[in-house]
Amino acid sequence: MTYFFQLVVSGIVVGSIYALSALGFVLIYKSSRVLNIAHGQIIAAGAFITYALTVWAGIPIYISFVLSMIITFFLAMSVERIFLRRLIGEPIISVIMVTIGLMSILDGLIYLTPFGAENFSFPKFLPNTPILFGGVSISWTQLVGVIITILMIIGFSWFFKKSTMGISMRAVSDDQLASMSVGISVPKVFGLAWATAGLSAAAAGTILGNITGLNFDTLHAFGIIVFPVVILGGLDSVLGAVVAGIIMGLIQQFAKGYLDGNFGLYGTGQVLPYIILLVILLFKPHGLFGIHEIERV
Amino acid sequence: MKKGKKFLVVVFLTLIACAFLLNACAKKEEEKEGVVYKLGLSLAITGPTSDAGNPYSKGVEDYFNYVNDTKMLGNDTIECIIKDDQYKTDITKRNFEDFLSNGIVLYLNYSTGSTLALKKDFDEEKIPTIPASFHAGNLVDSSYIFLPIASYSEQTVGLAEYVVNNHQGDMAKVAMFIHPSAFGRGPVEDLQKAVEAGLKMDIIEVVEHGKDLDNTAMLQRLLSKNVQYVICHTVQSPVATLLTDAERLGIAAKSFGESGKLTFLGVHYTGGNDLIALAGAASESFLWTTSYVLTSEPGKWTDKQLDLAKKYNRDDKTANSHNYTNGIMVAQVAAEVILRAKDKGLEITRDNLYKELLAMNGGNAFEPGSTVGPVTYSETDRAGVDQLQLYVVKDGVFTAVGSTFQSEYIKKIK
Repeated sequence: MTYFFQLVVSGIVVGSIYALSALGFVLIYKSSRVLNIAHGQIIAAGAFITYALTVWAGIPIYISFVLSMIITFFLAMSVERIFLRRLIGEPIISVIMVTIGLMSILDGLIYLTPFGAENFSFPKFLPNTPILFGGVSISWTQLVGVIITILMIIGFSWFFKKSTMGISMRAVSDDQLASMSVGISVPKVFGLAWATAGLSAAAAGTILGNITGLNFDTLHAFGIIVFPVVILGGLDSVLGAVVAGIIMGLIQQFAKGYLDGNFGLYGTGQVLPYIILLVILLFKPHGLFGIHEIERV
Repeated sequence: MKKGKKFLVVVFLTLIACAFLLNACAKKEEEKEGVVYKLGLSLAITGPTSDAGNPYSKGVEDYFNYVNDTKMLGNDTIECIIKDDQYKTDITKRNFEDFLSNGIVLYLNYSTGSTLALKKDFDEEKIPTIPASFHAGNLVDSSYIFLPIASYSEQTVGLAEYVVNNHQGDMAKVAMFIHPSAFGRGPVEDLQKAVEAGLKMDIIEVVEHGKDLDNTAMLQRLLSKNVQYVICHTVQSPVATLLTDAERLGIAAKSFGESGKLTFLGVHYTGGNDLIALAGAASESFLWTTSYVLTSEPGKWTDKQLDLAKKYNRDDKTANSHNYTNGIMVAQVAAEVILRAKDKGLEITRDNLYKELLAMNGGNAFEPGSTVGPVTYSETDRAGVDQLQLYVVKDGVFTAVGSTFQSEYIKKIK
């Protein structure tokens, strides 16, 4: 039974980190209907900025974590201002193509820094010994990761439901023209969507970097790894990202725990999330919590 | 003969004499300036695995600069064209074709995927090729590929033999932790063959990893199956996560074969300073094998490598990277075959360099200093250094364990 609970805890931990990594996709899509393919690169950039501030500038990691989120907030906002602002009103596919180009540009820029081709790890700032509850173990890094994820999800949920800007973002996502007619600045909303996505990416990157070490290939790959989470939860749902993240985390851990190594099966943890994703999408094409829009002509 | 005709004959003869004279002068000038031998290297300076490719390319570049600067080949020089392929086989192929049109006489390749994909091209072009991939499959149905050191299979079986020879108690129970690709899967079959040939160990599980954030389930499953040793064949990043999780769970052995715990071992691309950079203290006691001399071991080679890195303004990280050594070593082999062909008065062609590589054995074996044993090639053996050295992470650095060894079972299963 301990083994079962260990898998549940591991699944929730991994799922929460997936949810946080997926949040950036949702935030941008929710307001602009754009899928940002370069999200993995922003996750990696956030982790590297935290490392640079902590190790090279000697700032305590707690402060550099916050600073990194602020820097990435403005970085993502500038990216939107420079590359995407001109594309407002253009077909969505053109904007997505630009994000593919953006991915190459960010790749190139990161390869100009030592982070492109070198490996680093964050200095240890949390206790090494795990937290144990009746034989179930969780590391401090994982626990802090889960807490940060919960805080950010609560924060963003509040932001979208209660704040004026959050409601404006939802309105823009619903109908750009109608939003403009009531005085909402669509460019401002888009900028803010990218900025908040940058903020969540920096948090995700720093947590991922603390778990896997700082390797560019590993970090930016999470931009793609969490894709099934985003699709399963529904591209425009913060709650969907959380639920789907945890579902994916649990499926992976149970597959690895009970299927791998038995019945001649291996690697099921990598494949099963995609199989389940396909099955769910057959019945719910907009994901578990995605809005099913009906257009009447 | 009329005066005019006589004049024309004189002019004609003078012109011929001038042509001969100019030709002789040009030859003399060429001898003075020397011949340029062109080589090509396509590798991942950016993109996946660039953490290995970057220092590797610097090793190749620095050693050829050293050859030219110290006039190792007299007035002749080596020009090695280095191109980034971002770990993409289609770009590697394009680079290779560009190199061919540039007239290269020897080719240095990088990844397992591209080496397997271009295997037929190397044979068709009859161009000797040294890749950074040590995949045994590179040598199957190919005559022109030369591995720098023992194959991944040989390293894996060698590590397994070390486990069997040093394990105490009942039969050693082993799991493999591998990359889900041709690169990672290569040695699995060979290790299974070695077990069938009499290597006394049980392979309990073969784990193909993904981008895992938590290995708790897998590690506990291995422990529940009484696995005691995990042989890794992948790149550093997943191994770092594995070691970190094992350390957190308190199940990483602090000494070889510690009872009730897991002893982690790995082949060439799992280890090195990059693993320590990623896993930090969790890498302590990790056992790693390669055929390269490390700069953490004091010695003649270490001084030479550090001097070379200093001469060409490389940072400490590059200077101490085993992938920098790896790059230097393949450049050493390439320069050596050119030197040997030149000493014999042979023209530097693909064919002659190929023959020189095949003759690199017995008394002609090459001792580059950067490896723990000599480089030997022949018609039947195209894996360079056969000796392996075991290293263990001790106080944050890789330290040699015992003397060099060679896999016995790899010969039995060939």
